[in-house]
Amino acid sequence: RSEKPNWDYHAEIQAFSHRVQENFSLDLLKTAFVNPCYIESEEARRRQLGLDKDAVALQLQDNTGLTERGLRFARAYLAQCFEGAYPELPAKGIEALVNFLTSQELVSYVAQNLSIQDLTLCRDFPAPPDVLQRTFLAVIGALLESSGPERTGIFVRDFFIPQLIGKDLFEIWEVVNPMGLLVEELTKRNISAPEPRITRQLGVSTVLPVYFVGLYCDKKILAEGPGETLLAAEEEAARVALRKLYGYTENRRPWDYSKPKQGLAAEKAISSN
Amino acid sequence: RYVRQLQRLQLLFSPTAADARGARQFVEEAAQDFARQHPDVVLYVSPHSGPGPAPVLRAEYLNGTVREELVASKTSEEIVQLATKLANQSGLDIIRIRKPFHTDNPSVQGQWHPLTNKPSILTVQGPRLQPQ
Repeated sequence: RSEKPNWDYHAEIQAFSHRVQENFSLDLLKTAFVNPCYIESEEARRRQLGLDKDAVALQLQDNTGLTERGLRFARAYLAQCFEGAYPELPAKGIEALVNFLTSQELVSYVAQNLSIQDLTLCRDFPAPPDVLQRTFLAVIGALLESSGPERTGIFVRDFFIPQLIGKDLFEIWEVVNPMGLLVEELTKRNISAPEPRITRQLGVSTVLPVYFVGLYCDKKILAEGPGETLLAAEEEAARVALRKLYGYTENRRPWDYSKPKQGLAAEKAISSN
Repeated sequence: RYVRQLQRLQLLFSPTAADARGARQFVEEAAQDFARQHPDVVLYVSPHSGPGPAPVLRAEYLNGTVREELVASKTSEEIVQLATKLANQSGLDIIRIRKPFHTDNPSVQGQWHPLTNKPSILTVQGPRLQPQ
């Protein structure tokens, strides 16, 4: 976009900071958009044009330090949010959720819709998704330096957590053996092993049978799940039981976006890095 | 939080053509106020000299759509209204919306399926026990 007419980099960066409603220090933000591949390509181009050594070395710093800081803060903050909201969820589940939220496709999608792809300085055009991911994390790092951990935490919460709306837990977290996981969870809570029984069945002798298998512990129902064959129904019932235990069902309370009052929590996230 | 979807507005007009009078008045009087009220939109004003194409207001949105509106023979206030209308839009295509409602959760207690109200096979039925 910088090659087309009507482009003012400084004005665009100011507009970006207003659009996101955050105060950035502008030179930190400008360094956040500079990628190492851009510096290399600029130096190579200047060397080809025949300038001497002093003019070749650019005065720009690149954004690798900011990227690392932004990534660490984002992961720590998101992990803390999830631990607070879903206390029953095991560490592997939280890790899977955080990995999903900081994955390349999601972060580059968010970055594109915030016009970061126009502001990045990098070698190829259009900017590849890993470059966009690194630039967005560097922007988070720059915000961390300029405004402090609280505002950055609110920023991360506002832009990453809505990406979880409508998604189911087991779409994000691949669980190979839900029945084994369920048995472990129940033994941790000192409940006896689940006993699967067929609750309802339809169309047994047709091509599309439907079995509802219910899991009972001490003759009290735990969860019920449908499936095509008996094994599939049992696995589905185990998944439903796990969702209920972890508190990630479809009818849970939606995320709380009100103003946070715990400044200490965010600072703990920083100090634990 | 709310992120305004309009990225930048480009006003292309010519300083001599007669139908660009409203555009010129807008640039002289109202453009600065507009820019101050919308700090997250970048406003570019580019006059191209001589009798060129008709004056146009081009809006670029965050999802990449570019929308052009003719501002020939419009007064300054009308251009201000047009600019605020573009600023409050999002970049989605302007097509007929088939239905004005949409839910992601069409059912609150679970959609009905043929097994909803049938009792489970496991409930014991005896001569005096009835399935509850």
